[in-house]
Parts: sequence; C-alpha cells; structure tokens
Amino acid sequence: MMATRVELGTLPRRRRWVNSLTRHVVALGGGAVIVAIALIFFYLLWVVAPIFAGADISTGRVYDLGVTEPLTLDVNESDEIGLVFDTPGEIVFWQLADGQVKHRQDLGRTLKTVKSVYPDGATYAVVDTQGELNIMHASYPISFEGDDRSIGARIDYLFSDLWIELGDVTDFDVYYHDTDMYVAHLAGRTLTLDRYRDVEPGFELDEPRTRTLRLDRKYDRVLFGPRGQWLYLTDHNGSVAMFEITRSGQLNALYQRDLIPGTATLMALQPLLGRYSLLVADDQARLAQWFVVRGEFGLSLERVRQFTLPADVKEIAPEPRRKGFAAVDQSGDVHLLYTTSERLLASHPAAPGSRLSVISPRSDILLTATPDGRIHSYTLRNEHPEISLSALWSEIWYEGYESPVYSWQSSSADNDFEAKFSLTPLLFGTFKAAFYAMLVAVPIAIMGALYTAYFMAPVMRRIVKPGIEIMAALPTVIVGFLAGLWLAPLIEANLSAVILAFFGLPLVIVLLSLAWQKLPGSITTALDGWYGLLVVPFIVLSVWAAFSAGPVFEHVVFAGDAKRWFLNTLGLNYDQRNALVVGLAMGLAIIPSIFSIAEDAVYGVPKHLINGSLALGATRWQTLIRVVVLTASPGIFSAVMIGMGRAVGETMIVLMATGNTPIMDMNLFEGMRTFAANIAVELPESEVNSTHYRILFLTALVLFVITFAFNTAAELVRQRLRSRYGNL
Amino acid sequence: MLHSKNTNLKTWVTSGELWIWLNAAAVGISITAVGGLLGLIAVRGLAHFWPADVAAIHYESASGVAAYALGEVVETESLLLDQYRSATGDTDDFPADVEVIERSLIKTGNRRVDPPDFQWIYSHRIASIGYPDEAAVFERMEWGNAYGVLEKVLFDGSVVAEADTAWTEFHMRLERVETLREAIARIERGEFNTINYALEQIRIERRRLELDTTLTDAARERSEAALRSQTDALTVRYTLAETDLAALIEDLQRDAIEITISTGATLTIPFADVVRGWQPNRMSVIAKLKHYFFSVWLFLTDDPREANTEGGILPAIFGTVLMVLLMSVLVTPLGVVAAVYLREYARQGAFVQLIRIAVNNLAGVPSIVYGVFGLGFFVYFLGGNLDALFFEAALPAPTFGTPGLVWASLTLALLTVPVVIVSTEEGLTRIPRSIREGSLALGATKAETLFKVVLPVASPSIFTGVILAVARAAGEVAPLMLVGVVKLAPTLPLDGNFPYLHLERKFMHLGFHIYDVGFQSPNVDAARPLVYATALLLVLLIVGLNLTAIMLRTRLEDRYRGVES
Repeated sequence: MMATRVELGTLPRRRRWVNSLTRHVVALGGGAVIVAIALIFFYLLWVVAPIFAGADISTGRVYDLGVTEPLTLDVNESDEIGLVFDTPGEIVFWQLADGQVKHRQDLGRTLKTVKSVYPDGATYAVVDTQGELNIMHASYPISFEGDDRSIGARIDYLFSDLWIELGDVTDFDVYYHDTDMYVAHLAGRTLTLDRYRDVEPGFELDEPRTRTLRLDRKYDRVLFGPRGQWLYLTDHNGSVAMFEITRSGQLNALYQRDLIPGTATLMALQPLLGRYSLLVADDQARLAQWFVVRGEFGLSLERVRQFTLPADVKEIAPEPRRKGFAAVDQSGDVHLLYTTSERLLASHPAAPGSRLSVISPRSDILLTATPDGRIHSYTLRNEHPEISLSALWSEIWYEGYESPVYSWQSSSADNDFEAKFSLTPLLFGTFKAAFYAMLVAVPIAIMGALYTAYFMAPVMRRIVKPGIEIMAALPTVIVGFLAGLWLAPLIEANLSAVILAFFGLPLVIVLLSLAWQKLPGSITTALDGWYGLLVVPFIVLSVWAAFSAGPVFEHVVFAGDAKRWFLNTLGLNYDQRNALVVGLAMGLAIIPSIFSIAEDAVYGVPKHLINGSLALGATRWQTLIRVVVLTASPGIFSAVMIGMGRAVGETMIVLMATGNTPIMDMNLFEGMRTFAANIAVELPESEVNSTHYRILFLTALVLFVITFAFNTAAELVRQRLRSRYGNL
Repeated sequence: MLHSKNTNLKTWVTSGELWIWLNAAAVGISITAVGGLLGLIAVRGLAHFWPADVAAIHYESASGVAAYALGEVVETESLLLDQYRSATGDTDDFPADVEVIERSLIKTGNRRVDPPDFQWIYSHRIASIGYPDEAAVFERMEWGNAYGVLEKVLFDGSVVAEADTAWTEFHMRLERVETLREAIARIERGEFNTINYALEQIRIERRRLELDTTLTDAARERSEAALRSQTDALTVRYTLAETDLAALIEDLQRDAIEITISTGATLTIPFADVVRGWQPNRMSVIAKLKHYFFSVWLFLTDDPREANTEGGILPAIFGTVLMVLLMSVLVTPLGVVAAVYLREYARQGAFVQLIRIAVNNLAGVPSIVYGVFGLGFFVYFLGGNLDALFFEAALPAPTFGTPGLVWASLTLALLTVPVVIVSTEEGLTRIPRSIREGSLALGATKAETLFKVVLPVASPSIFTGVILAVARAAGEVAPLMLVGVVKLAPTLPLDGNFPYLHLERKFMHLGFHIYDVGFQSPNVDAARPLVYATALLLVLLIVGLNLTAIMLRTRLEDRYRGVES
C-alpha cells in the first residue's frame, strides 16, 4: 500500500495524468452507458405515467359582460373565444384570456331558447318569444399580420334572415348535416318533423315537408338520435320513447321505456357525444348511462353503467369530442366523469346557482353562468380520462355492443367513435402466438439439444452446433416473409398433408428405430452418433410422401375438403395466415436460442456423474433421463424462459404471418394480434402524446417488463446451476 | 421364436433406443428446416436471374377457341380431377385412367397491352409447344417484361433496320440510349439535386434572418441582397440544366422498336422504355451465364423501379451499410468502455453483479421496445429539442425531429450495446491476473496496462462482439420501421452537397425492403422473385458476418493462446 503510493508519486506527470484521465473517462463512459440503459425503462415509464395521473378542475376567471339572463354559452374551436346568447337578444363574443369583448350583436328580438344544432358545431337554433326560429352560424376568421396571428368573431344567419314560424312549442331540436336539415318540435301531444332538403348556407330555405304525429301522452323534450336516424322523446318522469325517421320522413314508434325507477324523479337528461347514449340523473344522487343496443328484437335501451355522486345532479354537460361529461350537483359542486373508464375524475365547488354549463371543444375549459348574469370559467386538466385499470384489462360494455367485451380498436373514421383500448386481446394474442411457437420449439430444441450434447459424434457436433446457432442470427423478417408468402399458401393448399405429416413423421421414426434393431451390430455401432444425420432423408421422404398422399388422405378423412370439414365439424374457421403458420415459423426462429442454452447445460454436466451412472449398469437412456436431464434441468428451464422471452417480443414474424386481427380465440387456424405487432402497425400513425400514443408506450413497457422478468428468471436459475456444477 | 422376439422388444424399450431416435429426429428436423430454408431462399433467389426459354404455346382456350401464348413457364403443378372440375367448371369427359390434370403458369408479360400478365394453361389443352429462335424478351422501364418478335428498329418514325439486321441495330442503339440515360440521370440526380438543396438552404437562411432580431437593418439588407443574388445565379443554372435535360429527353424519344406480340398485334416501344432485350432460345449456356451474372450485377447496382418491384436494390444496400457503419462507430467505444468499467474499474460487488445481469437481460428485450424508445426519446424528445434550438428557421418542417439515419443508428447502437459489453467482458474475464500483475509489477500504470496489455489480449472478444452486433443490426427491421426507414428514399443520405453525410435523412434498408415489397406492394406475384433475391443477399451478409466473427475469434484466440492459458 505504502509502496504503491510512493511509486505513483514518482511517476512522470504525463503518465499520471493519462492514468487518472483514463480512470475518469472509463468511469464516466461506463456510467453513461449504464444510465442510458436504465433510461429506456424510465423514459417509457415517464411517457406512460400521465395516463394514470388523474384530472383536476380549478377556478378560472369571472367575466362580467353585461348580459341579462343568458340562454346559451359556447367556446370556439381553438378555446380562445367565448360566446353567449342572452334573453334580450344580444350575442356577445369575448376573449377568454382577458375577458375583453370581441364583438357584440343585437338581434332585436327577445329570445326564448337557443340550442346548438346537432351535430354541427358553432351553429345555433334560436327561438324568440313569438315562437319563430332561425339558424345562426358563428365563425372565427384567423388573420396574420407578419407573424402575429389574430382571431376575429362574427355571427350570421346561416340561410337567410327570414324566420320560421314554429308556434308555441314545448321543445324542439334541429339536425343539420350536408344538405339536409330536420326540425323536430313538440307542442302538447303533437310531434312535428319538418324536413328541409338541398339546403345550402347563404340561400333561403325552401318550404319543408312536414309530418305530424299525435302522441298518446305528453312529452317534454325532443332530441335527434345519431345521424338523424331516430328521435328520442322524454318526459319529466324519465320515460323515453324512440321514433324511427324513415328515408321518406315517416315517423315509426320503435321503443319505449322508463329510465328512472318508479319512486325516483328525473333531475337531468343529456345525450352523450354521438347521441347513442343518454345520461340520466335522478333524485337519489344516481347518474346512469343508457344506450341503444341492437338486439334480436330490434333496438332497445339498456342501462350500461351507473355513477353515484355525493348529491343530486341538476345539470349535465357532455364533452364535445369525447365520451365524458361534467355534472353540476345540488350542493354546487361540479364533477368530471368519463363513461368508458367509469371514472369520477375530479370534483370542485362551482359558483352558487351555476347553470348552462358547457365544455370547450378541447375539453380544457368549462363555462357556467350564474343568475347575476356573470360567466365563470374553470380550467380542466383532463388529458387521458378514457383510461382506467378496468378499461385496459376488463370487459367493457361499449356503445352499440350487446354485451361487455374485450376489444382493441384504437381509431375509426367517425368523430363520435368510442375508442376501445382493452389490452386483454393483445395480451391474449401475444401469449397465443408464443404458446404455439413454444409448442413447436420446446420439444424440438430440447430433444435436439439432448441428442447433440449426449449422443452425437463429436465431429458432427462441431458443425451442427454452430450451424444451428448461426440460425439465431437469421433476420426474422426473412422467416416472416417466407411464412407469410410461401408457407401460409402452402399449408392452406395442403392442410391435410400437413396433418398427415404431423402424425406420420413420429410413426416413421418409430419404424426406423425398430428396423435399426434388425441391422447387424457392426453397422449400428459404427454409425452410432450419426443418427441425427441418418434421419434427415427419412424426414424429407416422409414429408414428401405426406404431401403426395395428402389429397387422398383429405378425400378419405375430411370428405375432400379439410378446411370445410374443420368448419362444419369442429366449428373452426380457417384464415390463411394463422396461428399454425406463426407457430411453425416463430418456432423455427426460437429453436436456436433454446437449443444453444439447453445444449450448453446438458454438455456441462460433469462427466464423472455420467460415468458413475453407466458403471452402475444404467443404460445410456436411463443415465440421460435420471442423471443428466435432472442435473441440467435448471439450465433447460432457463433455455425455455429465454425462448419464451423471444417469442413474446418477436415482431416481424407475427406481423407478416398473421392477419393481425385482435381476436380472442385459441383456434389454431385463426390469427391474432400481439403487443409487438400492434406497436409496429399503429405507432407510426399515432398522434404524439395522445392517449393512444401513451397506451402504445404502455404496451412497450409491458413487453419490456415481461421479457425482462423471463430473462432475469432464466439468468438467476443459470447462476445457481453454475454454482451447482462447481460443487459437483 | 416368439420368446426371443419378446425379449428383443423388451430390451428395445428399456434401452430407450426409440427415444434416442426421436431425439435424433429432433436434430434432423432442425437440420432439415435450416437447410430447407436456406435452400429455398437460394434457389428462388438465384433462379430469378436465369434467362428462361420463351415457349410458344398453341392451345385451346376454356371456351374452345384456338389460342396462342408466348412467355416463360414459371411453374407447373398437378390437380386432382375433382379440384380441376371445381376450379374450371369443366364438365368434359376424361379417360377413366386420368386422375390428375397438369397445368403450367405462364408469364406472358406485356402488361397493360395484353392482360393478364400471368396465366394458367392446362396441359391436355395444349396442341403444341415450340421454342422459336426469334422469340425475344424486352425488359421495360415500366409495366414489366414484353414478349414478342423484334420486327423493326425505328428512328424518328422511319425504319432503319428490319428482320436480320434489326438485332445488331438494336444493340447499337441501346448503347447510345444508355449514354443518354446516364446523362439524364446526371442532371436529375446531380445538378437538380444540388440546386434544389442550395435553394432550400437559402430559404432557411432567409427565415433565419427574419427570426434574428439582433440584426441592424443595414446588415439585414446586405445579407438579403447576397441571398437574392445567389438565388438568381441558381435560377440561371436551373434553367440551363432544364434546357439540357429537355434536349436529352427529346433525343431519347427518337428511337423505338416495333415487336409483334402473341396476339399478332404490333407493339411500339420507345428505346427510352427499354432496359434490355434478349433472345433466350438462341442463347448458348455461356451466353446465358453471361446474361445471368449481368442480371445479378444490375440487381445489385441499379435503382428500384415500379414501386420497388423491379430494378435493383442499390439504395437499400447503401442504406443498410451506412446505417450499420454509423452504428458500429457508436457502439464500439460505448460497449468497450462500459465493459472495461464493469470489469476493471468498478468495485466488484452485488451492485455490479446486478448491473451485469441487467445488461445481459437487455439483450433479450424485444427490439420493438427499443424502437418505441428511439421514436419517443431520440426522435421526438432529442430531435424536437435540437430543432427548436438549432433549426428553428426550418420549422415547422422538422429537421431532426423526424425519423432519420442518425436516430436509427443510435437506436440500434443501444440495442446492440449489450452484445458488445457481454462479449468484451467475457474476454476481459479470461485474462489471467498474472498478466495484469506482471504489467503493474514492471511499473506500468493501470491505464498503460489497460491499453498495452489488457485490451490487445481481449481484442478478439471485442471484435467478435462488434461483428455480432453488426450482424444483429443488419437484420433488425421492427425498430427501424419506427425510427427512420422508408420504402423509397428520394435522396441518399450521402451526396455531393455539404456536409455530404446527411444524418437527418431517411434511408432504405434491405430488411424493410423485403417486408415492404413482399407485403405492401400491389403486385406481389411479380415482385416475389426480387424479394427472394433480396432475402438471399441479406442472409449471405449476415451468415457471412457471423462466420467472420467465428473465424476471427479462432484466429485471434490462437495468437493469444499463450497468454490466455
């Protein structure tokens, strides 16, 4: 110790400097690489974390715009401008950021009701106290002056300034899409539907075609259903009737039921985005989601889920872009909820007497009006409400489904689509693919390893082992391509031959080993250790024979068509790219990994154990099974774990050799979608930091954790094995 | 007799001979599968380039009309009579002894003129098959091969050669066209590319001036004037190049050939569309071999055509090699430093052991996970921030904030670093203490021992690790799909424009090429042979790299055998 210090002290400065520099660079570099590796895990976690972060509501500004008895509030697309209609007929636009009024317009009429036109945003149906209706459209032109963006605001009559006479109506609703506009209104027991065809903004409306219907009872509200396909009529007792709107504009009664149990009363009712669902609140602090289910006997409304809130809900404001909503209760609290994930996300006290709640298109602002004519804003932080543990892993009753299902369907062309983010079918698919691959790979790899390590002639082993190991490096894209474009059509055309080969091959081997007994001892001894090569021609021959005999076999056993037989007899559907193809191809791809480690473990069994066993009179086979395999079993186990890890994470083979449909079915003849393939397919198209993006990261994290766990288990077992061999 | 047979069977069962045979069969299956796989790729990949004979087939069509087809026989298969009947709806009587019907798939080409370009012909319908000498194949730039008989060579619409002299004239003119085509390519890819690149740089520079608030008006005016004059100069250059190009293209359009196709119609193909033409039935084996190797050469050195289903794969080879080179430049120092730290500098204990296990396990983490990390962290996080800091002028178009070469290399470096670490550490472990201690005892510092003694002795393991890393990286596709690979890169990441190596560009890759052409292309049948050929190339590359690793290890091990034991 002393001596070392003296010696270093006498080193020339340059050498000392180099020495310490090297130490620092190496420590820094080594540390950096290790940190970089750890970073993978923490970065994935960091991206995933926000989806479980929850939501909150905070009080924003109060705007005093000088309006009296506001009728409707709204926020523009970019969440910058607020809009209010008030009873004296004034429309005010103001900047949400600073409360500054942008534009004021007086309609010169006293208004009774203002409603958003369904499904078009920024379009409003206005009814005055005379019972006259007009449609107005708000627009927000954006202009640039150099780099400075400024936004304007204006409101116009959508068609013309001619008002439509509705009369004294209880309620009305307007549907406007493309060139069609429907106006439905209720007056007493009369339901009227006016259809305007070929409407065009800026042009006067033609006379509508009108249908009226006498109802058998009184209703209070009328609402268009999705795409104007039907009408909902509701009354204050919570009774709902649905009327179909036929192509010709006829109204047919479809369905009727009470959404509130007898003793309770209805507090609030609002449709959810897309209008397949109705949110119904009663006076027992319950809020239920009902939606339309297409069953055997036509449409019906089903109660899908129910929330219990601290107090009775008096108002519901659905989110304009998602299947969530805000609810204001009697005690003056506002709550954020989400249907798919069944979550109560956040609660916050609102200004007393809040009403007319509306959520902005980007779901980050909530506006309410108080009786004094002021408008209150609340900031919502609610990025990923659609996710909860149950939404990810349990069966969920999605809109339009007959019953709860596991489903992965991340996107659709529709705006009012309910994203289905169940990871269960993907997890199932991942393990289905891995299962079939392991079914192929484990027996072949382990039996092959036993033979190679224990029986094979050393000369042959020196070639076979590295030969099979090099196959581990074969790009999986090549295996996948062959599986998808060569193997899949081949198996489809020769299904019966494949089945025949599966049963025939072992039979041929049994016969071969029997015949081998009959050969003179000199030959069998000389060729001992070369069995592995000797069987190759027999394998090739029997596969060839199976393919030749396939059609005949198919004729005899499967009545001429194997695929039809499986479908009719066993109810198994056949896809060209299926689990069988994946099992064979991925099995082939993971054989080398399993083989290599298992072979090492078997080969490493101390020779004196084997010799001892043989000396005691055990046959080679008995020694192998009772001594060698037993001793090497941890190594074999770790080989299987490593193989499993590879099978779970393999991407290209599954991507190319299955149809990638996220179904849950163990059927050998149907495909699956795995985590890895799902990431490869969907991540490039996914919007950065969206819920979908984060869920894909979550699946990557799940894959990481699963494979890391398998590999760690394998590694620990292997280390124990090493010390055991050391002791023997 | 019975007794002896019984004991025989009994000894056979207890000896476990059957099980041994079954185990041997497992090895046999592995060998067969490996061999079959490689054989399949090799045969299909290599066969594609062979100039197959062109068959002229007179047959009776399904409707009973006499028909004529000219093309290559791609494959022949047999159908059971039942299958044949259900496939064709043919109810004709066959002799009682006929059980199977043969049919051949003929590639008749002439896509767009005489569809479809592949057709099945049943053997029993064939009246005669001939291999006429004059039948020729013309590889076209578009729409695949044309099959027919060369009748005339035209120049400016008038016939310059006919019949016997046509082929001599054809080859002569093709050479001229070849030179023209090269000149066009030079302008399009060289001059135009350079000008466009320079113009883009000027646009970005202008934007940078706009964003720079510190500039005085005078300085701004000066810089802008300079940019304006540069733009003007480039515009002039562009106009000149455009004129040249127009002249060349016009020149190219002047020659044409006229061929008679199987329907009897005449097809005029401008030389601009002709890649090659040959008469396989007239060729000797040596000529065919020459043609074969030339085809392979074209495949390796040409650009892809027709949505990657024809032509060559040069950009994919180039992209793969460049990406792998960059990756090895990144991975080698990182891996070696990490291994040296873990083995030589870090205090050995439970923590280092834990890290070692973690590193080992990372080699087993699915590659797609690295791709996800690369996309999120490198591309969006690092790249996005780089853009915001240094390439603000180019925004909103991302420079580094989009998948590209550098991110792909980094991702793969991260993916393969465990391979290098594990291999290097293995090498370091095997060096006996005595060697290190000898060096230290002679007065060398730890660093000197490391550089002069330890690393040289461990070099075989380091090389092996790097080569294995390269082999793994060359075959990975899944992560690349997320971080930088594209089906068709308009520009190579390496060109004549400063800074020559464009790390932010997207690139093509052999493995992705296989996936893309095999699974995403509209005409998979036509593209399949090329996919096999590409697959063969990739297999050869990777098996070659692995064998090199093995050989290198053995050789260097021999050299240092003395010190290791």
